[in-house]
Amino acid sequence: MLRRHKWIVPASFLLLPLLVYFTFVILPTLNSLYYSFTNWVGYGSDYKFIGLANFEKIFSDRLFSNAIRNTAIWLALAMTVPTLLGLALALGLQGKRRINTVYKSLFYLPICLSPVIIGIIWVWLYSPKLGIVNIFLRALGLNELATAWLANPNTALIAVFVAWAWQQTGLNMVIFLAGLTSVPAPLVEAAKVDGANTWQTLRKVIIPMLRPSTVVVLALTAINALKSFEIIWVMTRGGPFNKSDTLAVFMYSESFRKFKMGYGSSAAVILFAMTLIIIFLYFKQIARAEELYD
Amino acid sequence: MLSKRNLLAVMLLLAGLMVAPALSQDDLMGDFTLSHYFGGFGGEFIEQIVDDFIAANPGLMHAESPVDHEQFKTSILVQLAGGNPPDTFSYWAGARIQFIVDDGFLMPIDDIWEANDMDSQFPQAVIDTAATYDMHKYALPLTLHWVGVFYNTALFEQVGAMTPTTWDELVDVADKFKMAGIPAFALGSRDRWPAQFWFDMILLRTAGNDYRQALMSGEASYTDPEVVRAFGLWKELVDAGYFNADANAYGYIDSANMVANGEAAMTLMGTWIGGHFASVEMTPAEDFDYFSFPTIDADTPRASLGPIDTFVVAADANNADAAKAFLVYLTNPDVQWAFAEGAGNLAPSLMVDTSNYNDVVARIAGEIADSAVYAFNYDLATPPPVAEVGLNSFSEFMANPGDYEAMLERVQADAQAEFMAMMDG
Repeated sequence: MLRRHKWIVPASFLLLPLLVYFTFVILPTLNSLYYSFTNWVGYGSDYKFIGLANFEKIFSDRLFSNAIRNTAIWLALAMTVPTLLGLALALGLQGKRRINTVYKSLFYLPICLSPVIIGIIWVWLYSPKLGIVNIFLRALGLNELATAWLANPNTALIAVFVAWAWQQTGLNMVIFLAGLTSVPAPLVEAAKVDGANTWQTLRKVIIPMLRPSTVVVLALTAINALKSFEIIWVMTRGGPFNKSDTLAVFMYSESFRKFKMGYGSSAAVILFAMTLIIIFLYFKQIARAEELYD
Repeated sequence: MLSKRNLLAVMLLLAGLMVAPALSQDDLMGDFTLSHYFGGFGGEFIEQIVDDFIAANPGLMHAESPVDHEQFKTSILVQLAGGNPPDTFSYWAGARIQFIVDDGFLMPIDDIWEANDMDSQFPQAVIDTAATYDMHKYALPLTLHWVGVFYNTALFEQVGAMTPTTWDELVDVADKFKMAGIPAFALGSRDRWPAQFWFDMILLRTAGNDYRQALMSGEASYTDPEVVRAFGLWKELVDAGYFNADANAYGYIDSANMVANGEAAMTLMGTWIGGHFASVEMTPAEDFDYFSFPTIDADTPRASLGPIDTFVVAADANNADAAKAFLVYLTNPDVQWAFAEGAGNLAPSLMVDTSNYNDVVARIAGEIADSAVYAFNYDLATPPPVAEVGLNSFSEFMANPGDYEAMLERVQADAQAEFMAMMDG
């Protein structure tokens, strides 16, 4: 009797969190899916069901293509720059020397700050006249490189990305450091005994062993990159003139600045679908890794 | 010594006590809720007059819900739609009020308007443009801001410049500053809106208010010769190098400081800049002064430009009686004057003794009285989705003035799409 109803105990424990999850995650998600088929303005109960009209419109929207292009640039940079930097830092700082602990803490520190704070700090660093970035460039005699980083349409997106990567790198470093502890020391020593140089050891032994960590880093980075909004909003609000608009910023502007919640929701649905693909690929990789180890 | 702020609090309290007997209505009972978007001085001021109002009406309980200025635009709409709005709230006169009147979110205030003969208390231009929507009175004007060119008097003396009254004179003055190696015009358009005043003023001084109104409501096109000409004139100034570099990198306070510190000669801004100049110890008419944006086409009727802050009553107000009594309270000349003085703005009420104004503000009051029309700045004159398109184009123009005709084609296509979408809704 008890055995047949074994599920009752765990289910009763899960009921509350599931209810919360359903109410605050699943329901709002379904809700925005629903709104994406309407012309709702974001307030009031007066709206029409317009089928796929928002989606038809969005794919010919100049600002949407602009946001997609910026998101693609952001994603490509995000997958490479902080990943490689995080890996390099982890390799350089592994081991138990005291100074390493200090450096690790320093590089990890940005993670403890909210993206809004990071944004504000970097706005100061980029200030055209008083910012340390331009002061530094001028001190090096590189006056022509000093620019209004966040106002220059050619540099705004990259400048915000640098601030974002500064934070993301610390997180990646920690994941890689954790991964490195699982690389068996005898394996590395064996490679050295067999005459492999540092580069060969890295490429043929350490990096393949870091595969699970790399999958985690890449998946987290991609998801963080797609949802990155606060730091861009604080630093440029997508400007100047939409030059640093990403999908998340586009979604917000359409919904809350232009009061087109239905249209903004259709952007949210597309962003959600993109994130879902990455999560799917991630789980597939994880499953593959588990098979390998089983 | 009493600080300026404390002095003001005392003044307000005294004003409150003086008018209190007239205001107390025994029948006002229950909770009274109010939201506003004022920060800094304005925020403290509103809190003070709400306290005075509550003190005069002991039957009322005050429940306030102040919100951040940016957040306010969205949160108030959500509250209105949800049917639980504050009884009264501050709102920007113009397209934004029209936007919520169209949705039936506001309660007309024709009754208190007539009962208190407010027609005689406010200038007709303000009543027509700020208070009246669809033939009904909806908004009580609290404070009025006026956009003009504010300049550093010492710099004008240094280069021997006179205040210009025509476009050619403006260009001559700007040229003098260029020769002296000083940017003539400070502009900080990082938050986009400061750039709009250039488009607003040039268009008002060339095509005039009627055409501008048509453009703001979607009946005219951004590719019309009127708009192309306005941008062309603006471009002359940008191309000549009269503006500070990297306008999009700075905020409006930065541009005000450029003028204050003598790094730039003048800036096109609202009267609220006077509040900032006062905070850096500049004396009106001595350290800084103003001139009205110069005439371009002599036969275009004189127009004043700037936002007007009002208070409105929600259609779903729980305590509409208290809300309306509060609006009547706001017409009190002492209240209107205290707000105007503290914020460096103008009081819309004609009952305010203008001899109290500092010299600069007093002359500005004269400019407004001489204007045939009072127009609202771009982002308050055109519906929010279109304003987004236009505001971005002004920043783009400051960065790439060369491509403006191609840009206007895009602006027109986007603006038209937004107008169409609004009609579908």
